[in-house]
Formats: sequence, structure tokens, C-alpha cells
Amino acid sequence: MIGKLLKAFKAETGIDVEFVALTYNEMLSRMIAEQKSGKVTLSLVGDLHGGLDVMASRGLLQEIKDISLPNRTFIPTLEKYSVIKGKKVYVPWMQATYVMVVNKEAYKYLPKGLTVDDIKKPTKKWTYDALLAWAKNLKEKTGSPKFGLPMAPKGLFHRFLHGYLLPSFTGYQAKKFNSPGSVKAWEYMRKLIKYTQPASSTWAAMSEPLSKGEVWLAWDHTARIKPAIVQSPEKFDVIPVPKGPAGRGYIIVAVGLAVPKGAPAKEEAYKLIEYLTRPDIQISVLQNVGFFPTVKEAAGAIPAGALKVLAQGVVAQSSAPDSIVAMIPNLGKLGGKFTNTYREVFRRVVLQKMDIKKEIARAGKYLQKLFKEAGAPIQ
Amino acid sequence: MAYPLVQALILTFTSEGGAGLTLANWHSVFSDPMFWEALKNTLLLTGVIIPLQVLLALLLALFVNSKFRGYMIVIYLITIPLALSDVSAALMSYNIFSPQGYLNKVLLNLGLIHEPIYFFGFNVKSREFWIIVLTEVWRATPLVFVILLAGLQMIGKEYFEAADVFGFSRLQKFFYITLPLLKTSLQSALLLRTLFAFQIFGVVWLLAGRDIPILAGETFYQQTELQDYNVAAVYGVIIAIISVIISWFYLTFLKGAKELSES
Repeated sequence: MIGKLLKAFKAETGIDVEFVALTYNEMLSRMIAEQKSGKVTLSLVGDLHGGLDVMASRGLLQEIKDISLPNRTFIPTLEKYSVIKGKKVYVPWMQATYVMVVNKEAYKYLPKGLTVDDIKKPTKKWTYDALLAWAKNLKEKTGSPKFGLPMAPKGLFHRFLHGYLLPSFTGYQAKKFNSPGSVKAWEYMRKLIKYTQPASSTWAAMSEPLSKGEVWLAWDHTARIKPAIVQSPEKFDVIPVPKGPAGRGYIIVAVGLAVPKGAPAKEEAYKLIEYLTRPDIQISVLQNVGFFPTVKEAAGAIPAGALKVLAQGVVAQSSAPDSIVAMIPNLGKLGGKFTNTYREVFRRVVLQKMDIKKEIARAGKYLQKLFKEAGAPIQ
Repeated sequence: MAYPLVQALILTFTSEGGAGLTLANWHSVFSDPMFWEALKNTLLLTGVIIPLQVLLALLLALFVNSKFRGYMIVIYLITIPLALSDVSAALMSYNIFSPQGYLNKVLLNLGLIHEPIYFFGFNVKSREFWIIVLTEVWRATPLVFVILLAGLQMIGKEYFEAADVFGFSRLQKFFYITLPLLKTSLQSALLLRTLFAFQIFGVVWLLAGRDIPILAGETFYQQTELQDYNVAAVYGVIIAIISVIISWFYLTFLKGAKELSES
């Protein structure tokens, strides 16, 4: 995909771009080395928000206030995060997130007082309590639980816990892990699990159970539900997640484009950024790799079909006024231990019914230790 | 061959970034309840699967060894699963027992049930356990079968002719001739299967995830998800140690067999 785009870019501008695929660690150490030796060779870097955040705080990135990107409106939430410590250091390039999918059949079982409109917009009525009532209705009226989560070891369930549940109940992913709000969150999970399809613990992605009709309501990463929606776009709606007492917590996976300090081809890099954020290019990225546009003009121009269904949900979610955006913390190698902590607490507190207060006190301390060890501010 | 082994051992006593030797990795494994659960499950699975496999394989081997008409076809049929990897066996099993699987479809269509029966999930762990047992027995019994059948075919006819002269019953022939002479084959089969059972992974991982934690699964989880290579190495070394103990146990316990068959 990137090769194709760069070829078209060269044909238009005559600028030859060499793309180097690097892991995050390789890129960071190369940038540090280039900066130290004063011989910078990279002119444009693309990375997740977490990675760019580290580069910016190490002073490796240029401020790019002077770039001109006409005829495109960036989604405000993303724009906000691209300004790090008061400096605009990257341009939002692509985004992905985790949303909910509903089989339209499930709308017949909405709890009293909740409308389809409430959910799609979303309004204040679309809450975690409403989700619980809906899941309960589904189980009791259809005869089997119809709500599912990707809880298999390879599933992304931990993202639900740290990026959705806890921010919605406590306002933070880890900072308030040991708090009354967190107790409420885990008590809530104990209730929700009763109406969750038990085979969830064997599902790594929700696409198949949705396609097969094993669940009618599910949460997962956009890329992992896409196949079901591509197969039958008329059957499903992609909807924003519910809100909790603290707000509507959700993760945005933001990918940005940044220019290293002292880049040899800054002007050309700007041109490439302009090219890559054009609405039509953003749509073709969505069609090919499933990452969503960061400019509103692109979101509005997606042709009808599965991708439109997906994008509508994603945009509705990221435009919700009560948003609490969670960025996946950049803990390097400790990332696995971070997510495992949430899964472990879930297993012990929800499945094995261990004491909530004791468990969150212990795990809360451990999370603090992890952030400290990784040198990242606790979120 | 020794190099990776030594490397793994060193990994268990070191920590990333830290200098010098440490027992921290071992401590973190032994103080983790998941380890004890994994150990318990691995022992339990081995303890249930192996006797079932040996018994079933022995019955099948005796049956086939009676060399009825068309017995070769039966041998082929029994040994088909030998060609399957654990992953494909698990996937086949999932397709049969999943909520939308063959079994549930048949039962639903026959009107015997109105809602699918769940065999997989966090609240039906015992069902998951038995599906794993069933899959493993189906998949790996042929290995035991082949070894035992070879053993049976090596037993000379003259023993049974002599037994006929003394008027032995069929049961007596089995216990006094077949079983003792089969001991070497049994020993090999048991040793191989028990060692493999301790490394059981694919079937459990695919069918139950970490609902039923097992030693090899935890090794994999530590290595790939938690990226804690030191702790993963501890798990690996523990599996290796248990394997050595099992081998020693079988070789000592079934020692008599060798002497008997040589005499």
C-alpha cells in the first residue's frame, strides 16, 4: 500500500521517497544517534501517538506550525493530542479504535427508555447501566446470552478493561485503579459477566461470532469486526461505546506524521504530509488497510457499504462531547505486564470472586511501579 | 544441543538489565497462583489422558492383531490422526463442539435441544476439560496403538501353542504371556506419551485459552504476551525437569520388563 502511494506521489511531484520500515525501538535509537552526531537522514517519521510523544519529549521532533494543509478539517480530539507540551509536533495521519457492533435484531430488545437514536448519537442515556439492562434482556428474552467480548488470550479484552471500563468509571486508565470508582467498575463487571456469552473466553476476534449470530452485541477493535460487516453491511450497526459515571472512556489509536529536528528534506516532507492527509488518499488507506481518516472531509466522502457503517460508528464515538480519550500508554517492553494486570484482576475478582478491595490495592501498586519503571507518567 | 539448554538455565537466574545472579524469576513463578494451577492442570490432564490412551490402544491393538478379514483397512483408519497436527485436531474438535458446530446442529435439527449446548467458555471449564481429553485421546492414541501393535506382532506364536498344550484360558494367556512380553513396548509408549503430554499445548490453547492454564501455555504466554523471557525460561526448565523425572521413573519402575523379554 505505502509503495503504491509513494509511486503516485512521485509521479505527481517528482519527489523520490525511500520508505524504511523500522520497529519503534530501532527508529528511536536511530533518531537519537542521528541527532547526537548531527547527521540527520530521516525527514519524515510516522508512528503511534505514544511513540511520537516519547520522541517529542526527548526533543527529537520539529515544531510544524508552519505547514499549510488547506481544505481539510482534522478531528478536534486528534488535533488536540498532536500538540505535545504546547508544541504542534505531528499531523494526525490515521486512526483506529475499538467500538461496539450491534446486530440490528438486538434493537428489538432495547431496555425501556433507550432508543436507537440515543445509542447512535450517542446521548446521555447510552450508559453502562443501559448496556447491562440490554444484555440482560437479550439473554432472558432470546434464551441465551447475546453479548460478547474477545476474551481469548489473543483477544484484545484487556483494552476494554483499561481503556473503556476504568476511564468510564474512574476517569483514568491506571491513576485511580485503587479507588471507590474502580470498586464500582469491577462490581459492574461481575453483573455484566452474567449476561455475557461464556464462549467469549475462546474468542480472539468478534467478527466470526457476529457473522454466525452467536452474539448480537459485541465490543472489539475495528479491524477485528470488519470482516463481519463487509460480509453483510445491512445486518449490523457500528455504535459508540456507552458512558459510565465519569464519562465515555475509549481508546484512540492515533498515528501521526512528524518531522525530525534538522531533517534534510523538510519542504519535501511537508509535501508528503499534505499528500497523505488528502481526503481521497485517506479513504484509499481505509479501504486497503482499515485505518480510519483523521480529516472530516474524508469521513463524509466514504462510499456506501461496510466501510461507511464502520466509519459512522467511529466518527460518532470520537465526536461524543463526554469523551474521555485513552491513549495506550507507551511502556515499551512492560506493555504486556500492564495489560496482563487488568486481565488478572478480572480473572480473580470477576471469575473467581476474590475480594475487590484487596485485589485492586495490590494491582494498583503494581501498576504504579510499572509506569515508574518505564519512565512514563501514569495516566 | 547443550548450548541452548545452558542458555535457558542462565536466563532463569538472571534478569534483564540487572547484573549478577538472582532467584527472583523462580520466586515470581512459585508465588504466582497461575503456576500452581497450570501444574495441577497439566498433571490432571496427563493423569486422565494417558491411562485412557493406553487402555484404548491396547484393546485396539489386540483387536487388530486377531487379523480378521480386512484388518489392514482398520489399521489405516485408526492411524489417520497420526498425520494431524495438534492445531488441526483442535480446530476439527472446535467445529464439532462449538455452539454452531456439527453436534449442536444435529441435536437442534433432531429437536432434542432448543438452545445450543456450550462446551467452551469460562463457566463450563469441566466441559472444556473433557473435550480436551477427548481430542487428545483421539489424536494421540494411534501413536500408542502403533507401538503396541508392533510389540504384539513380535511375540512368537510358540508361546501360545505351548499355552494351548497346558490348556490356558484366553484370559490366562493374556495375563501370563501377552502382557509380560508387551512390557517393553508399553514402556516406550508410556514414556513417549507422558513426555508429550507434559508439553501439551495447541489443543488446550485453541479450545480453552487460559481458562485451563497449563505449563506449556504459560511458557508461551510469558514469552510472547508478557515478554518476560526470564520467567518463560523458568517455566521451560521446570517442564524439562519434570520430563527427566518421568523418564527416570518409567525406566526404573518398568525395569523388569527388559530382563524378561531378553530371557
